[in-house]
Amino acid sequence: MNSAQIEIQLIASLVAIACAIPGTFLVLRKMAMISDAISHSILPGIVIGFFITQDLNSPLLIVLAALTGIITVVLVEYIQKTGLVKEDTAIGLVFPAMFSIGVIMIAKNANDIHLDVDAVLLGELAFAPFDRLEISGVDVGPKSLWIIGSILLVTITLLLAFFKELKVSTFDKGLAASLGFSPAIIHYGLMSVSSVTTVGAFDAVGAILVVALMIAPAATAYLLTTDLKKMLGLAIGFGALSAISGYWFAHWLDASIAGSITTMLGLLFLIVYLFAPSKGVIAVMYREKQQRTEVSLLTFLLHLKNHTEKRERHVNHLQEHINWQKVRAKTVLDLALKNNMITISNDIVSLTKKGNTFTSKAIDYIITNEDTQIEDMKEDFFLFRG
Amino acid sequence: MDNIAVKVDDLTVAYNYKPVLWDIDLEIPEGVLMAIVGPNGAGKSTLIKAILGILKPIAGSVTIYGNPYDKQRKLVAYVPQKGSVDWDFPTTALDVVMMGTYGSLGWIKRPKQKEKKAALEALEKVGMLAFKNRQISQLSGGQQQRIFLARALAQNASIYFMDEPFQGVDATTEIAIINILKELRKAGKTVIVVHHDLQTVPEYFDWVTFLNVKKIATGPVKDIFNDNNLTKTYGINYKVSIQK
Repeated sequence: MNSAQIEIQLIASLVAIACAIPGTFLVLRKMAMISDAISHSILPGIVIGFFITQDLNSPLLIVLAALTGIITVVLVEYIQKTGLVKEDTAIGLVFPAMFSIGVIMIAKNANDIHLDVDAVLLGELAFAPFDRLEISGVDVGPKSLWIIGSILLVTITLLLAFFKELKVSTFDKGLAASLGFSPAIIHYGLMSVSSVTTVGAFDAVGAILVVALMIAPAATAYLLTTDLKKMLGLAIGFGALSAISGYWFAHWLDASIAGSITTMLGLLFLIVYLFAPSKGVIAVMYREKQQRTEVSLLTFLLHLKNHTEKRERHVNHLQEHINWQKVRAKTVLDLALKNNMITISNDIVSLTKKGNTFTSKAIDYIITNEDTQIEDMKEDFFLFRG
Repeated sequence: MDNIAVKVDDLTVAYNYKPVLWDIDLEIPEGVLMAIVGPNGAGKSTLIKAILGILKPIAGSVTIYGNPYDKQRKLVAYVPQKGSVDWDFPTTALDVVMMGTYGSLGWIKRPKQKEKKAALEALEKVGMLAFKNRQISQLSGGQQQRIFLARALAQNASIYFMDEPFQGVDATTEIAIINILKELRKAGKTVIVVHHDLQTVPEYFDWVTFLNVKKIATGPVKDIFNDNNLTKTYGINYKVSIQK
């Protein structure tokens, strides 16, 4: 690996981490689409900043772009508040308008300078190492590394300082307001961080893909944990992992780095979506199948409890009278035997003491929905996990 | 005369310039367990939210023990409607209850052992200690409501505002909750509850406010909970058999 390669991976990772942090809260606040709006509508801010400074890495650019981001959020909220259109419509109205203003400004004035629509839409990470920051003649690294590094530092500081406030206002806005943590301040704080991060990431991945970096790591992490801190940690990890693997994928394919990073984000999400231990598609399918069997088991046990006559308790009766297929009848019988809930002698099934208590408790739970009695049963049976 | 815990003067609240509460004057004495009753859209939740500064009124003022709410925040606990939050949020029962202590911490400061202890005690009071590490989406509706109540208890306030705490809970939980509310009253706290079930008003509460955009009446249940006020509030002839 040469130093340019290391620098690119470092920039990509920092961008991914800086995006994953506000992204986690955007996902939890069901505001994923606002990041799309911000990423597009900061374009006029960037263009105006560029006209003034002639430098794509100027801090003024970041300030102006962040300001345009905030204006977008305010406009969306204003339109929504009129009650005439819903939030998604308001977003759809505002950001294309802002973005097109930026596009026209570029086309009219910036034809002969380094600011083209392609770069804005897709970014170009490969060129990042060429634009160096020099302090009194000494090369201290790529400018974009310093920019995204500073943004990340500020983001992490704000996160550590206001974690509690972010959490409570995301979970329960009403409570946050009554406790004196103004949800509006926290909301606009988060929007400012999102806007600034987007500007910082813009250069590297462009307006379209920055949305993926904000949303995909958080959405993936959401499927794996029920703890906010772990969700943040996982989102950061997924972001960095996609950044590095994406870089090498692009290297191998000789293709766009930003495109490859996003592809990796998509792949990671797909894998987790399928295989996550409790929320994944396969786990859910397995659980539903188990629940069906458990309901059958309960039906069978209840039947045994209600009938003392031998005719009703014969092994074959399961198929003949309860009307189950052979396989299902066997599964249910095996499950009951495995749990010592029944005994079979001469093909006559009887409830054991354990089976008897289990049935009463389970029926009781289903009728009353009071689950203090069945805590010990939750371990073995999906049915009682609510 | 008793201390006045909450005083509302000429309060008017509007959504999009359409008033939903008109010129409300209300005095809530300290130590009462009060129900706010009225039909859907009467502005019951709005009244609580306006008192707590969550909604900005277009006119009027609210004082808590003689001072504006901003200065008295720490005296007040709020239990929002259970449906107002996303129960799939990645957190545990204990963590939600801890949120009740955030107000006394103020900005930036983090909860420590003291706050955790307060939260655990509150969980125990509502009989949910065994569920402290349970993810909140894995709780039943009644348990979620108890967690909300525990969160308010962890605030250790003097005045409790609750928005429909009995909504969607089973009979056992309802009794458990009302017993805790009665204990709060016994301890000299003031409890204000948005309530829907008129039948249980005389049994649960000692004070009642009838609300339908305007205030219809407020006072002791035994004096004013009658067919006349119910009819005025609900607009139809209301007959409830009041057990005295």
